Amino acid sequence: MQKSRYSADRNVQAYYFVCDAPIAQIVSVVGDFNKWNPSLHRMEKTPGGTWSKRIELRHGHHRYAFMVDGDLRLDPTAMGITKDDRGRRVSIVPIS
Amino acid sequence: MLPITKELGKAAQKIHDPNMKNASPGKRTSSAKTKTQSQGRPPRSVIHPIIIYPFQQPSDSLDLGPLYELVARLNARKDVYSRPITVIDRKTHEVNAQKTEYVEFRKKTVSAHSDILDVWCVDTCQMWYSGLGFASERGGPSDVYWLIPGDFNYGSTIGREVLSRLHDLPEICVELEQDLCIGEIPTDHGNSKQLIDTYGTFALLYNWFPEEAREIRQYTERPRSEFFAIRHGFLKEMLLRRWYAHEQTVVILLHAIFSRKNISRFLVGHITDLPEGSDTLASALQQVERTERVLRSVWLERHKNIPDWIGRFRMLEIQSEQAVRTSLNILQNLLP
Repeated sequence: MQKSRYSADRNVQAYYFVCDAPIAQIVSVVGDFNKWNPSLHRMEKTPGGTWSKRIELRHGHHRYAFMVDGDLRLDPTAMGITKDDRGRRVSIVPIS
Repeated sequence: MLPITKELGKAAQKIHDPNMKNASPGKRTSSAKTKTQSQGRPPRSVIHPIIIYPFQQPSDSLDLGPLYELVARLNARKDVYSRPITVIDRKTHEVNAQKTEYVEFRKKTVSAHSDILDVWCVDTCQMWYSGLGFASERGGPSDVYWLIPGDFNYGSTIGREVLSRLHDLPEICVELEQDLCIGEIPTDHGNSKQLIDTYGTFALLYNWFPEEAREIRQYTERPRSEFFAIRHGFLKEMLLRRWYAHEQTVVILLHAIFSRKNISRFLVGHITDLPEGSDTLASALQQVERTERVLRSVWLERHKNIPDWIGRFRMLEIQSEQAVRTSLNILQNLLP
C-alpha cells in the first residue's frame, strides 16, 4: 500500500470512532492501521450503549470496520466505502 | 492514442482565435514525475484535475470563482498535481466570445491556472471523453485522473465545503490503490435526482444487469455521479471502448464490476447543479430514457456473440419498457 505523500508521516491526529451496538459484548475497531487485528483497539462501552475508541491516525485515508462480537460491521456514519484485501466491504475515514 | 482524440486535437489546433489557447498533448510533463523518475525511484502517482467548464456561461462568477480558487491551489501544488485542464465546448466560446465578462474570466482566471482544451462537443460526456483522453496522454501508469464538473453551486456555503473535500476522491485512488472512486452527493429520498435513480436508473440496471446492479448499489445510491477519480490503467481501458453519449458513469461502474476493479465511494456533500433545486418531469423522462438506451447498448455489446442472444434480448427489452413506464408513472406523481 502506498503511503500518503500529502503530508509528513509524523502528522497524526486523534480520531474518535463510535459504534452503536447496545447489546454487544465485545466491540473493536479494525483497519489498515492495526492490520485488522481485533485485539489491538478494543472499544469502551458508554452508559448510553454506544462504544467508543480514540485512535491516533496518520494523515490520509484509512480503511476500517467495527468487529462486533466477531462480526465485521460497516460504520453507517462513514464518509466512504470500499473493500479490504479480502474483498469485504469496509468503511473509509479521511484524516486531514 | 485514439483517432478521435487526435482529430479533436488537430481540429482545435487549427483554430486561430487570440482568446483561445490549445494545450499541446505530450509536451508538458509534471514536475513531480520528472523529479522522481530522474532519481531512479518508482514513479509517484500524479493527480490530473480535469474541469468541465459549464456549457451555459453563468451571469456572474459566484460559483466559478470559488471553483477556480481551488484550481489555482491545485496548480500551485506541482509536487502532487499535474497542471489542471479545463475543457470548454467551442459552442460556449462562440456564444460568449464577445462578452467581456467571459473573455476576462477565461483569460485572467481559467487560462492562468489551467490549460484550456477547446473542443467541439455534442454533449457533456464528449467533454469528459476529450478531457480525460487528453489528460491520459500526458499521464503515466500510476497516475490518477480527477473529473470536476464546473456547473455546481460552489459559491454556496455548502459548495465551499464540498470544494474543500473533493480532493479526497483522487487521494483515495492513490492511497488505497483504488481503480475508481465515485463522489456521492447525499440527498433525502424526495430529491429529484435520487427519485430518478431509485425508480429509473436502478430499476433498469436490475433488469439488464441484475448481479452488477446489486454490487453497484453496495457502493453508491447515485450511479450517475459526475464526481469521480479514475486510475490510469482503468481509464485507458474505458477510453479504448465505445464511449457512450449518456450516463457514462453508469457504464464506467458496470465495467469496473465486470473486470473486478477496486471501487470506492466517498461522500462529497450536499451540492446541486439544478437551478431550481429539482428536475422537471420532462427532464426526468429524458434521463430515464437515456439510461435505458445506454444499458440496452451495453448489454448488446456484451452478449451479441452469445448463441440465442436475441431471445434474451427481446425478453429484457419488454421488461425494460415496463420498467420505464412504471418509473414514469411514479415520477409523474412525485415531480413538478
